[in-house]
Amino acid sequence: MPTEFIMPKVDMDQEKATIISWNKAEGDEVKQDETVLVVETDKVAIDVTAPATGKLVDIRFKEGDVVPVATVIAYVLGKGETMADIPGRTAATVAPKPVETPKAEAAKAPAAASPVAIRAAQELGVNINDVPASSGRISREDVEQYAESLKAAPQQPLPETGKVAATPAARRLAREAGIALETLAGSGPHGRVQAQDVVAPVPAAARPAAPVAAVSTGERQAKVVPLTSMRQKIADRLQASFRDIPHIFLTVEADVTRLEDARKRLNEIAARQGNSKVSLTAMLVKVIAWGLERNPYLNASLVGQNIHLWEDINVGVATALDEGLIVPVVHNANKLPLRQISESITDLSKRAREGKLALSEIKGGTFTITNLGMFDIPQFNAVINPPECAILAAGSVVRKPVVVDEFDSIEVRPIISLTLSADHRIVDGVVAARFLNDLVEGIESPETML
Amino acid sequence: MPEITYLEAIRQAMWQEMKRDDRVFLIGEDIGRYGGAFGVSHGMLDEFGPERIIETPISEPSIVGAAVGAAVVDMRPIVEIMFMDFTLLTLDQIANQAGKMHYMFGGKATVPMVIRMPGGSGTGAAAQHSQSLETLLMHMPGLKVAVPSTPYDAKGLLLSAIRDPNPVCFVEHKLLYKTKGEVPEEQYTIPFGVADIKRQGKDLTIVSSGIMVHKSLAVVNRLAEEGIDVEVVDVRTLKPLDNDTIINSVTKTGKLLVVHEAVETAGWAGEIMAVVSGSRAFDYLDAPMRRLTGKNVPIPYNRQLERAAVPQEEDIEREVRAILKGEY
Repeated sequence: MPTEFIMPKVDMDQEKATIISWNKAEGDEVKQDETVLVVETDKVAIDVTAPATGKLVDIRFKEGDVVPVATVIAYVLGKGETMADIPGRTAATVAPKPVETPKAEAAKAPAAASPVAIRAAQELGVNINDVPASSGRISREDVEQYAESLKAAPQQPLPETGKVAATPAARRLAREAGIALETLAGSGPHGRVQAQDVVAPVPAAARPAAPVAAVSTGERQAKVVPLTSMRQKIADRLQASFRDIPHIFLTVEADVTRLEDARKRLNEIAARQGNSKVSLTAMLVKVIAWGLERNPYLNASLVGQNIHLWEDINVGVATALDEGLIVPVVHNANKLPLRQISESITDLSKRAREGKLALSEIKGGTFTITNLGMFDIPQFNAVINPPECAILAAGSVVRKPVVVDEFDSIEVRPIISLTLSADHRIVDGVVAARFLNDLVEGIESPETML
Repeated sequence: MPEITYLEAIRQAMWQEMKRDDRVFLIGEDIGRYGGAFGVSHGMLDEFGPERIIETPISEPSIVGAAVGAAVVDMRPIVEIMFMDFTLLTLDQIANQAGKMHYMFGGKATVPMVIRMPGGSGTGAAAQHSQSLETLLMHMPGLKVAVPSTPYDAKGLLLSAIRDPNPVCFVEHKLLYKTKGEVPEEQYTIPFGVADIKRQGKDLTIVSSGIMVHKSLAVVNRLAEEGIDVEVVDVRTLKPLDNDTIINSVTKTGKLLVVHEAVETAGWAGEIMAVVSGSRAFDYLDAPMRRLTGKNVPIPYNRQLERAAVPQEEDIEREVRAILKGEY
C-alpha cells in the first residue's frame, strides 16, 4: 500500500504547521529520510523528511497552507503501486458538497392536491407546492403533517444572517483543525454542521507574509497585516502573562568598570588564541546564573499549588527577529565556562534569525534576560516569560558621574541599569532585592564569583 | 448476596442503625401497629417499642418540628412523611429551621435528621398524593436530597443519610418499593454526590433518577440489540450533584437526555443542562440537549391520563431515537 505522508507533530502543544516550501514536486522520486518540505510551527521551521522511498504523489496542500498535525499531506508510491492504490483518494479530493437547501425540493413539479388539502393549506398558511405527498395526491393529512413539521422546526435553516449552524463539538473540531465552518456541508437537521462533518481538512488560505490589502474603514485607510502564527503566539503568551501574573519591578544600577576590564583582558587573550570574543550579554548571563544559584526562588515556577524550584539553571536570551521575538535557551548556564556561554549565544541567535533552531533549544528556560543596550535604551521593564517567574531587562551602559567613596568623591563610571520583573505570587520584594544585590556584587566584583 | 425489595432494604437500614445507635428513632403517622402507609416500618414497633417508633397525630409541621428539636440535642430522628406531597406543609421546619441552623449558629449546631418521603405517581392516588417535588427541596440551601433507584442504593444512601450531621431529604418512589435487588446483609454506606453509571454507552447520555432509571434501562437494553449504545447515569443524590460524572459522560457521548418524573418547568433537568453547558462538555455537544419530564399538569386520577402525564418507556425510546437521528 502507498505510504501515507503525514504532517508531523514535533512539539507537545503543536496543533498545526504551515507549509513553507516543497523541495519536491508531484511525481518526483524521493528517498526515505530525504528532506521533502519545510514547515513552520509557531516557534521554529522544521525540515520534514520522506517517510519512505518512492514516488511523491497526491500532494494535497500547497505552500502557505496551514495543516493540522497528523493530516495526510501526500503519498509515497512504492514499487508497482499506482494512484489507484491510495485509499479513499476520490473521497478525499472531492470538494465539499454544497449545503442542501429546501428550495431544491420546492423546484420539483407540484403534485396534485385534493380540494380539502388545498383548503387546509390555505387555513394553515402553508404553500401547497411545498407539501410532500404520501401517495399520488397531496391529502389533508399530508398538509397537516407538513404544517406540524414546520411548527416543530422552522424550515429556514440558514437565514440571511450569514451564520453557520454548527454544534459546539463541530465548532471545536473545526477550530482545532483550522477549518472554516463555511466550507463544510452540514449533515444535521437544516444543514447543521455536526462533528462527523468535520473530517477531511480543507486547506486554509495561504498565510500572507506582507500586507495583503488596503481596506477602507470609514475615512481612514489601513494596510492589513494578518498575524503570523509566531505573532499570534507572542500576543497570546504576553497577554496571559501580564494579565495573570502580578508583576513587581525593581531597578538597580551597577558599575561595569571591572566587568568590562575583565572582558577586555579576556578578549585580548581570545584574540591571541584565535578564539571568539566574549559579549557583555554572555557575561551578564554568567552573573545571572551565579545569582540564581544563590537565589533559588528566582529560578522557579508556580505550578498549581506548588512552587517548583528548578534544579537546572537555563537562561533564555530574548532575541529579536524580523517577524517577532524568540527566546533561545542557554542550558545549564551555571555550569558552562564563560566562553562557551558566549559562543552558544552567538550561535543560537544566528540560527534563530535563520529560523533553524531545534525545539530543544527554545524549551526549558528557567529565567530570561532581555537586553536593549545596543539601542541606547537606559532602562525598561519587561514582561515575564511564563512559566518562568522573573525576567531581567538590561539597559545600555551609560557613562555617569557617581559617588565612589566615603568622601563623596565623584567620578564618571560606566553604569548599567538592570530592571527585574518578578512574579509577586512567589517572589517577595526582599527576595527580588537580594537577587539584584547579588547581581550588582557579581558585576562590580567579578572575583566573588570564583 | 440476599435478594430483597427496595422497601425491605430501607427497613433493614433503619433497623440495623437503630440497633447500632440508640439515638436513632422513627417518627411519623401510622408507622407503628399499621407499619406505615406502605409497610416500610412493619414489625419495628414490636422490636423497638413506642419510645423509638413514635406515632403522631396528623400534623406534619409538628412531626418535623419535633424532629428538628430532637436533632439539635444530638438525637438521630428519622421522619416518615406519608406522602411527599405533605412535605409542602412542613417547608418552614425543613427549609427555615433544619436547613439553616448549622449555618446560622456558625457551625455550632448540627441537625442530624432524615426526612423520608414516598414520591411519584403510578398508584392512582391523584394530584395530591403523586407529586415529585425533589426540585423544590434541592433549591433550598442546607438540605441534601437523595433519590435512590435500587434496593442496594437505598440501603447504602439511607445509612449515609442517618449518619449525616445535617438534614437529608430521602425521596423513595412508591412504585419501587416492591422491586428487588441484591443487598448485602451487613451495613455499608454510599457517599452523597457520587452518581452511578448504571449502564456504559457511547452514543448518548441519559441522566436520570429513581424509577426513571429503570424505565431508561429497559429502553436502552432493547436499543442495544440494534447497536444503539446509550449510557445511563443515575444521579443517586440530586444534592450534592455529581457534576463530574455527568460532564465526563456527556464529553464522551456528545448527546444528553435528562429524564425525570417531576414536571418540566424549572425542573432539575434544567440544572443538569446548565452544569453541562457551563462545563468543558459544551465543546463536545453534538446535538441540542433535551429533557423528557412530567407534563406541566397536576397528576390526573384517570389511569390513562396519569400514565400520559409522566415519561413512559415508549417516550424515552422515541426521544433517544429522535436525538440520535438529529431530529432536533
